[in-house]
Parts: sequence; C-alpha cells; structure tokens
Amino acid sequence: MEKKPDAKSMADVIGGKKESFESEYIRFDALSALVIDDIGAMRHALRSQLQWMGMNRIKCVADAEEALDQIENNTYDLILCDYNLNKATSGQHFLEHLRHEHLLSAKTIFVMVTAEAEYAFVANAVEFAPDDYILKPCPEKKLRARLERQFDRRNFLLPALTAMDEKNYLQVVSECDRLMAMVDNERWLLAALRLKAEALLALNDTTDLLKTYEQALAIRDNVPWVKMGIARARMLLNEPEEAEKMTREIIADNPNYVAAYELLAEIRKSQNDEEAAHELMAQSAKILPTAKRFRSTAESAFLLGKLDEAKTLSESAIRMSSGSMTERPDDYLSLAQIQTDLGDHQAAIQTLEKSARKFEEKGSFGIAKNAILAQAYADAGDTAAAKKLLERSQRLMTSESGSTALNALGKAAFKVGDPILGLKMLTQAVQSSGEERERIARHVTKSMQDTGQQDKIDEVIDAGQKRILVLVEGAKKSMHVAQFEEAYSKVLEALEIQQDNIEALLAAAQLHLLWLKQEGMNEDVKERAKAYLATLDKLVPHNEKVMGFYRFYNQLTGE
Amino acid sequence: MEKELSVLVIHDIKNSLALLEADLEQLNHRPDMPEEAHKAYQRCIELKNRLISFLTLYKHEQGRLKPNLAEIELSEFLEDMIAGSQSVTMAGKHGHAIEVTVDEGRIRIAPGVKHKGIATLDEYLLDLALESALNNAVRYAASKVDIWFEQDADSVTFFVQDDGPGLNTSETQADKPSSTGVGLSLCNAVTEAHGGGTVSLSNAAEGGALFMMGFRLVG
Repeated sequence: MEKKPDAKSMADVIGGKKESFESEYIRFDALSALVIDDIGAMRHALRSQLQWMGMNRIKCVADAEEALDQIENNTYDLILCDYNLNKATSGQHFLEHLRHEHLLSAKTIFVMVTAEAEYAFVANAVEFAPDDYILKPCPEKKLRARLERQFDRRNFLLPALTAMDEKNYLQVVSECDRLMAMVDNERWLLAALRLKAEALLALNDTTDLLKTYEQALAIRDNVPWVKMGIARARMLLNEPEEAEKMTREIIADNPNYVAAYELLAEIRKSQNDEEAAHELMAQSAKILPTAKRFRSTAESAFLLGKLDEAKTLSESAIRMSSGSMTERPDDYLSLAQIQTDLGDHQAAIQTLEKSARKFEEKGSFGIAKNAILAQAYADAGDTAAAKKLLERSQRLMTSESGSTALNALGKAAFKVGDPILGLKMLTQAVQSSGEERERIARHVTKSMQDTGQQDKIDEVIDAGQKRILVLVEGAKKSMHVAQFEEAYSKVLEALEIQQDNIEALLAAAQLHLLWLKQEGMNEDVKERAKAYLATLDKLVPHNEKVMGFYRFYNQLTGE
Repeated sequence: MEKELSVLVIHDIKNSLALLEADLEQLNHRPDMPEEAHKAYQRCIELKNRLISFLTLYKHEQGRLKPNLAEIELSEFLEDMIAGSQSVTMAGKHGHAIEVTVDEGRIRIAPGVKHKGIATLDEYLLDLALESALNNAVRYAASKVDIWFEQDADSVTFFVQDDGPGLNTSETQADKPSSTGVGLSLCNAVTEAHGGGTVSLSNAAEGGALFMMGFRLVG
C-alpha cells in the first residue's frame, strides 16, 4: 500500500495551509450562498452572519418557488434552508424535490435550518438528508464552525465533485481513488467512498459498486447508507435474498429509517408480492408522513383493490400537498377514480370539480378528468352525459398523451359500451408507457378486470411489444452486416409502435454509431445519432450503455 | 385547550427570543456597540438557555424526551461545541479571557472499543447538556477550562474541568448565583433519556471543579 502523507501535507495537497479550521483556510469571500426563510428577520439575521464570515454573494428568498428559480439559474456553494418554509412545503420536501430532479450541483452544500429539535428525527430517517442541519437560533460562531467542517470536506472532494457535475463518472471514480490514497480520516474516506459508489451506480458498474460499499462497511458497520448501498447493489446483481437480509439489519438497528422500508417494498415488488410491498409502504408513510408516501401507498392499495384504504390515503396526499409545490393534479384524478370505483359518483364529480378550479383542463389532465367523469356518469346510468364526456376526453388527445390518461379513457370507453375504443386506448397506454411499463400494465390490468375484460388482458399487455422485439432483432442483424438503411427502417417501424421504447432507441443509437464508424462522417447520420442519444439520456439517465455510446460518439466525432 | 394554548404561547416566546437574539447579535457586531447592548445580548442568551432547559426538563418529566440518535465524532464535536459556544464567547468579552480547549492528552479510548472516538448519541441534547456545564465552568474559571472524554466499550464519559476555586467555597456561594441546580438536572435528564448514566460535580484533585457526565451505551 502507498505511504500516506500526514495530515499537514494532506492539507497542502488540497490547497490549504493549515491543519484544522482556522479562518484563512476557508475563503468565505469566494463563496456564494442562498438563504431560504419565510421570516424576514431570520433572513436578515442569517445574511448578516454569512457576511460576518466574509461572504458577500448572498441571495435571500422567502419561499420555495423563488428558491427553485434561483437554483435553476445559478450554482450556489451553500444553501441555508428553513425547515418550515410554509404550511404546505417543508424544507425536507424541497430538498427531496431538488435531489430527485437532479437540480443541485454536487458541490453545493445544503444545510437545513430549523427551530425544532425534532427535525433530527427526520434527518436520521431519510436517505435524502441534508449535508448538515442546525438549530436556530444559531450564533455566528457555531454556524461558522459547522460550515467550515462542510467546506473542508467539500474542498477535499472537489476534483471528484467537479467531475460528478460534468457527469464524467469514470473520472469521479479515479479521482476518488486518488483522494482516498491520501487520507486516513475516516469521515473523509467514507465521503469519498460514497461519492465513488454514486458514480459507479451511474455507470451501472455493479461489481465495483458492491466492492466499494463493502470497503465502507469495513470502516463503519452501522451507518445506514452503507448498508442501503450494499442492499441496492445486491438487488442489481439479482440477489434479492441477500438484499433483504441487509435491509432487515438496517431496520433492526434503525426502526425509523424509512428508506429501508421503501427498499424492502421494492424487493417484495420485484418478487411479485404486492401485498407485502404495500404493507411496508404503509409503514413508511406512518413513520414519516409525506404527500409522496401517501400517494404511492394509495396507489398500491388501489391496485390491490383496497379501495377504502386507498381513499383515505389519497385524501391524505391531497391534504398534505395542497397549496405546496408538491401539489399534483394526478392526486385528484386518483381520488376521483377511487371514488368512482367505490360507487360514490357524487363524490367523484365533486373531487373533479374541485380539481378543475385548480388546474387547467388540458393535456393528460384534461383527458383523464373527462374520462373519469364519463365513468362516473356511466355508472350512475346517465349514458348520454357519459358519451359526451368521453368524446370531450378523446378530443383532447395528442400523440403525447400520457399512459395514465389513456388508461382512464380506455376504462371509460368500456363503461360507455365502446369496447373497440377501450381496447385501442389500453393497448396504447401500455405501448407508450416506456420506463413505467410495469406500473401502467398493472393499472391497465385492473381497468380490464373492473370492466369484465379479463380474457383480453394478455392481448392488450403484450400487443406491440412482441412486434417491437422482432423488429429490433431484425435491425440488429441488419446492422451487423452493414445494411444500415434496412436496419434503420426496421428501427423506425418499431419506434412508430412505441416512440420511447428503450430497446428500439438503443438499437437506433447503436446503428447510427456503427454507420458513422463504417461509412465515415455524414451530417444527417451524425445529427440523428445525437438526437437518439439525447432522447435516451432523458429517458434513462446515467444508463451505462448510453454513457458508453456517448463516449463512442465523442471519439468518432471528436466533439 | 389550556395545554394547547400554553404550547402556542411557549412556541411564540421561543421564536420571539430567537429573533431578539438575532437582533442583539447584529448590534454586537457594531464597532460602536455600547456595554449595555452587550449585557442585553448576554441576558437574552441566558434567558433563552433557561427556557430551553426548562422545556427539556418538562419534556423529560412527561416522559417525552426521546433522543434522536446519530453517530458523533467526539473530538470534532467537542471542538465545534467550543468554537460555537456562547458561554465561551461571552466569557471572552468580560475582559478576563478564559481559554477553553479540548485536552487531547486526557482523551482516553479503551482498546476494546470498536468505533474509536465515535459514539451514537443525540447531538442536540449532548450539546445542550455540555453547554450548560461549560457555562458554569467559565463563570468560575480563573483562566482556563479543559474538556475531554473517555470511551469504553459500553460507555462514554465527558469531563469539564475549570481552574476556579472549586465547590463549596465562600467565593462560589457569595458572589455568583448558582445555576448548577438546573444545569445538573438538565444533564441528568439528558443521560436518562439516553438510557441512563451518571452526572456529578466534584472538586478536582488539582483544584477547581470537575464536571462528569457518563452515558451507558448499548450495542
């Protein structure tokens, strides 16, 4: 093993001069910050504290919407976010939204500011925890000490974090390896291992992923994220029993770690044990109630036919997100569908009327809203009204209409007595479901069971998919014998059936890369290759295959 | 209804105090800050600490003080605590500077400890308890206060020692009103919430007062 430099030379390596945390080490004057707090006096106080540390690029905003706007248009070194943003949105929701949508730079340090000591419960129970949290009032010196620790860690990891932001995951891995060889500090080693694992996950490199987490486990055997990582890697390696064992260990040690319940639910789902998966999700919603947890638990209850439970959960999701940035039109649609299925047409109509006051009737929302109304009227025996609503729903359809809306439309068609339209819509719902295929297939299956179409389920779920597979196989054969035009026409046909079919898109990208390689640079082919890669990157971000194609493309085009 | 009302009132007082403290902190950063402003800031901090202590004790009496456990790197934690301690800041502003340091020479970690220097505790509660001990120590210290910890396989103990006159001397009783009562009850509540331990305040062999707070750790 390489000899590790001592702490002092380590500090030299990373550009600082000192051993722990005296003021000149962290150049606060070079850092920018975003302060999010709904109380003006608190914003003012936090701004002053940051100014005393030497920061001068400080932006203060009062709510999550404004903050989102800032984060989308700027990169901040530090975000100080109040936990109680307003009645509806908590800082934790906001953070989860940011991480989920990949809006935060890897270099940004997110610190939750809270008046409630209880926040620690949240921070210790979730996977999307902030980098740190402080209790207010927090005097400047204390804030400074905490921030210095955070920036210390960030500065150490900086080359790897930069590569992370550039999505250069191979570089992240090699930078982390280089940095780890230089330190003994366990916390920094763990931080580097965690980042490395994130990059390996993005590269889909499952063998090294497991190794990396096991390295972390050797340092600390009771940190939830390490065990979660191992469980996830085991899942990717298709070892659900091992994954479950690890997840159970996490729950035994940390009974409130909701992320573990959610992972266990995923494992159960992969084993087609929907009932158990639902129980686990309900448990996680009980420990840490959020609109998102209620939403997904309501969905699993609905799919299992537990309509009363689904209704309560769905109502909770609406109540918790009402007026916040996590408010979704889909929540009203789900509730109305549940109410319709429960036979409470009046309640369904009321729910949809309420939703119409909040959201514009267009796109998938408009289609689904009218389709569910049509179902309610059809069930109530008013076929004429139902037919009108069904037509209205159909008129809103475009080629982009979402699978969930098509499912509602199909169900309505069956209820109104138009089985041909019903089959067509449900088939299309499955075909355009992309990455969500399994979920949509379950919804479509339920719609067909509810409307007495059990005998046609297989036909609808599998329609198109077999044809696509045949076409993709054909395209692959053609491209490997350099018949590019022919391969291209097959891929196009497959994409016509389902424009976001991943297999077809992968084949399309691969075909164009081989085309460029063998027949030289051709602007059209190049542009198409680029477009397919961009579509794939959007549909399956961080996909190893797509990343490989990108590297291939860059080598070919020198871009 | 009455209970709900008092919860609201206390919440409001806590928030108002936080804002008042922030205002006074601002004032204290002015170069021309008068001595009165400094005193007001100090009083505000004391008031806030007292309120938080009482609330914590009340919660403990109700059996609702539940620790939020997380791993703490003990040396780092103590360094940060001193760096951010208002008691230390305030003591410094009183004219006679008191040096507060983590005494690394006295940190002892038993060979059998699996995660050396790391313990699973509620950081917030620990900070609250130690800050109150530190506050007491800087009030009586002549020039310095040392903090350190000792870790064994199933326990961790924190120490705060000052170089003041020690306990039960005329000076401690006559001059400064003692807040030790509440301080020690708070520390007891914090250790009990963690599942038990020992809290004591005694005279150190070298002179001065020695505060000890031990946590029994499970697992």
